[in-house]
Amino acid sequence: MGPGIEVGQVPRAALPINPAFQWSVGNWMDHFYDGLKEGKLLASKCPGCARVYLPPRMICERCFTKCEEWVELPETGTVESYTVAHVKVGANGEFEELPQPEVIALVKQDGADTCVAARLQGGSASVGMKVKVVIDPEAESFVNMLAGYRPAE
Amino acid sequence: MAHIDVAVTGVGYSKHVSKRRDVNIAELVWEAVSNCYEDAGLKPKDIDAVVTGNMPAFEGVNMPELWGAGHWGAYHKPLIRITTGGTTGGSVAHAAYYAVASGLYDTVLAIAFEKQSDGNSTMGLNTVALADAAAQFQQGVDPGFLASFGGGAVGIAVYQAASYMKRSGCTTHHLDKVSALCRNNAALNPWSHLKQPGLTPEDVAKTVLMQYPIRFGHVCPATDGACAMILTTHEKALKLQNKPAYILSCASCSDEAALMGISGSGTTNMDPCAQEHCKLAAKWAYELAGIKDPRREIDVAEPYAPFAHQMLMFYERLLLCEEGEAPAILDSGSMNLDGELPVCPSGGVISTNAIGASAMERITEVALQIMGKAGERQVKKEVHKGVAHGWGGAVNLNVVAVLSDTPRRS
Amino acid sequence: MRREVAIISYAQTPYEADANASREMQVLKVAREALQAAGLKQEDRYTVVTANNDYLDGRTISNMRLVEPAGAWMKNESKAEMDGAYAALYGLWRILSGDHDVALIIGESQASVYARWLPGIMMFDPTFDRQRWLLNEASAAALQARAYMNAFGISGEQVAGVAAKNLDNASLNPLAHNKLAGADAAKVLGSRMLYDPLTEMMMAPYCDGACAMVIAAGELAEKAERPVWIRGVGFAHDSYLTERTLKEMNSLRLAAEKAYAMAGISDPSSQVDLAEVHENFAHEELMAYEALGFCGKGEGGAFFDSGVTRRDGKLPVNVSGGATGANVVCATGLARIIEAAMQIRGDAEGRQVAGVKTAVATGQTGPCAQESVVFVLGGE
Ligand SMILES: [Zn+2]
Repeated sequence: MGPGIEVGQVPRAALPINPAFQWSVGNWMDHFYDGLKEGKLLASKCPGCARVYLPPRMICERCFTKCEEWVELPETGTVESYTVAHVKVGANGEFEELPQPEVIALVKQDGADTCVAARLQGGSASVGMKVKVVIDPEAESFVNMLAGYRPAE
Repeated sequence: MAHIDVAVTGVGYSKHVSKRRDVNIAELVWEAVSNCYEDAGLKPKDIDAVVTGNMPAFEGVNMPELWGAGHWGAYHKPLIRITTGGTTGGSVAHAAYYAVASGLYDTVLAIAFEKQSDGNSTMGLNTVALADAAAQFQQGVDPGFLASFGGGAVGIAVYQAASYMKRSGCTTHHLDKVSALCRNNAALNPWSHLKQPGLTPEDVAKTVLMQYPIRFGHVCPATDGACAMILTTHEKALKLQNKPAYILSCASCSDEAALMGISGSGTTNMDPCAQEHCKLAAKWAYELAGIKDPRREIDVAEPYAPFAHQMLMFYERLLLCEEGEAPAILDSGSMNLDGELPVCPSGGVISTNAIGASAMERITEVALQIMGKAGERQVKKEVHKGVAHGWGGAVNLNVVAVLSDTPRRS
Repeated sequence: MRREVAIISYAQTPYEADANASREMQVLKVAREALQAAGLKQEDRYTVVTANNDYLDGRTISNMRLVEPAGAWMKNESKAEMDGAYAALYGLWRILSGDHDVALIIGESQASVYARWLPGIMMFDPTFDRQRWLLNEASAAALQARAYMNAFGISGEQVAGVAAKNLDNASLNPLAHNKLAGADAAKVLGSRMLYDPLTEMMMAPYCDGACAMVIAAGELAEKAERPVWIRGVGFAHDSYLTERTLKEMNSLRLAAEKAYAMAGISDPSSQVDLAEVHENFAHEELMAYEALGFCGKGEGGAFFDSGVTRRDGKLPVNVSGGATGANVVCATGLARIIEAAMQIRGDAEGRQVAGVKTAVATGQTGPCAQESVVFVLGGE
């Protein structure tokens, strides 16, 4: 340390703060979740450049236009990338070993221009692989109604 | 080296209310940004850089622009995030000013916001003090004793108010009058949150006493809202506007934090009402702006006052009068919309506080007064120069901007 | 006429997994050393820009408590979020405006204090991804690594080779903490698999530390010994992770284009002598070669194999060890600028590369370098 400063050990104080957040998802994501409840994949479409957003966005980032058109997408999509996760991040912010590795994939739904990050069932994966969405309207948390994907074949 | 003059050429607000459950953070901000583009007559393609910020910890979203900026016309743009607590909006606007003044970017979009209903602001503010409190618990200090200091921003503000009253002769009646003045002004501002037309000081005096001397009626609401402004060069502004407002200068000044000093910074030895650093920031900003006598040259002031006493205290610290004179100036009617030096014509932070946006809204409101675009809240006198202020941290951060109808070089 | 702005001094703490000092002590040390080296005293007029993040500090308004240790008491002070390279950028604007002549820039954080991977998770879309808990900075980086490797036929050995090079380079840097002389690709590939294809040794482990730099224009810059001039800067933001291509580092490419244009660089591979690149994960350095125009699109692997970026190569990259050697969030990018300046000045001691006249340094923030800053530095 600098002149005159002698440090033995810096004392530590853990601070158990657990604030509650209640994010508004907004009307666009609300509509998306309503669709999932009925087993549908609803995406928003830009009237300017026809870009299709899944999950939906209210504003097209390319045109700054409101995406007021809705399209229902088919259940099929393509794996754009994936990782085999051997760990997850625990509540303490450190990696925890998973009992079984799992595949996390970036899937571009057919007809969409953006990707969804989701679990891919079946154990194996490859870029370009065709997959089908798994929707679980009964999921414990609404954010997990889009439960994941499974191989199309 | 020639100074590059920086003009405000567009201002936009979202609705300001306590809970916007119909939009997410990115969509709320879009409202302000979209209104701002429209006001400026510009499109995202005209923007060279974006500066944004909000209170980081309140909504529990780290750098919300990472998923939200696509809603703001920032696609593939240079974007920087500036956050400094309560002064954030001012700091964002200052950074945008420097971006233009640097000569590197002609037209810069500045965005500041807060969606308090998504998070837990009191918890956010408590973390200002809690980290120190946790250490004190470990040293065996009685938690009840610490709790008696009160929580969140009100905790610090009551001591500041009491000290200010002692030093200035300000009475609780003056606090009531400030609230009444601001909330009546807010009623004329379509973008304000708490509108209370016809509110009297007597009404304010009847509200619940939170902690002496501060009553419920002396405190800002928690607001969801966003503010955006577009800054550009003098030359470009003249093509877009007949009467742009110029940001002549920006200055900030930081004092030690009024905290317990456990972590190697801050002491509790300071008087939270002294705000010497506000005086310094004001002095620097006036010097750069070429203002010699702010009392005569400033036509309108937007001090950052979430608590009633702060409107008077910062009026003094912005060097608009001698210390201790503000209560009498308030009594004279000079601070009213039709007064000699109107203060908080927008209704101020005490009427609308989307925290991250508030300090920028002081600047946009002064700009609108200069441009003559403040609608019903336009002050009666002619406005040539105004001062906009922001305050925050552990009472230790101040930002000041001076605006004018003429550029600095002339 | 734009003012000429120079880096006139800098200071770094040693980077450690768990420093025996508070963040305030670390900031005090570097601020004091950098000011002293610049010949400045507390009473002199200068502006201060710090870089930090409230989620890393665990307290709101993270700059509020750094006022005194940062030498910012009664100074014109502000804060840029996350990487110190942004603070440097903001400090540069302040000086170019003519309102300020000198700026003290500081970046710091302590990974031993925050819950390592949580602040990164808080960056994801709170209406969807954040709550699904699949994406974090490491899993996102793995998705990017796979997309990039698959698109251009980049091998695991090439990615591992970058990590090995940087670990070996770090062994010559007394400030680095993550180092391994003679590291090779096989060792990196054989380390713990976290998110396939990324192993533990391909990740830049978060650590504790701080760094500071003084930049100035006018008299102070002209009088300075061996000033390092800021020739060009650029910065850019890219789309949200799931809405952009992950095969290219667009934010860095856009930032570099601006910085090169300002610096008058048209052929970076021949005009740049050395680069310090902020690579949080090994594959990012390969992508950075491409984004910085050192090689063509998709050629990062072959470019690495050619040995050009080794410390004895024609265009050494991350001679300091890069982020792999020491990754202090909010300081890593600023440290790249400082390391590049040290090379130009000839201050880099055991890791000094001969004849560095023009150097590039980069900083990044957001998952998979969603936002990037580029500095082009030059000597006399
Ligand atoms: Zn579009």
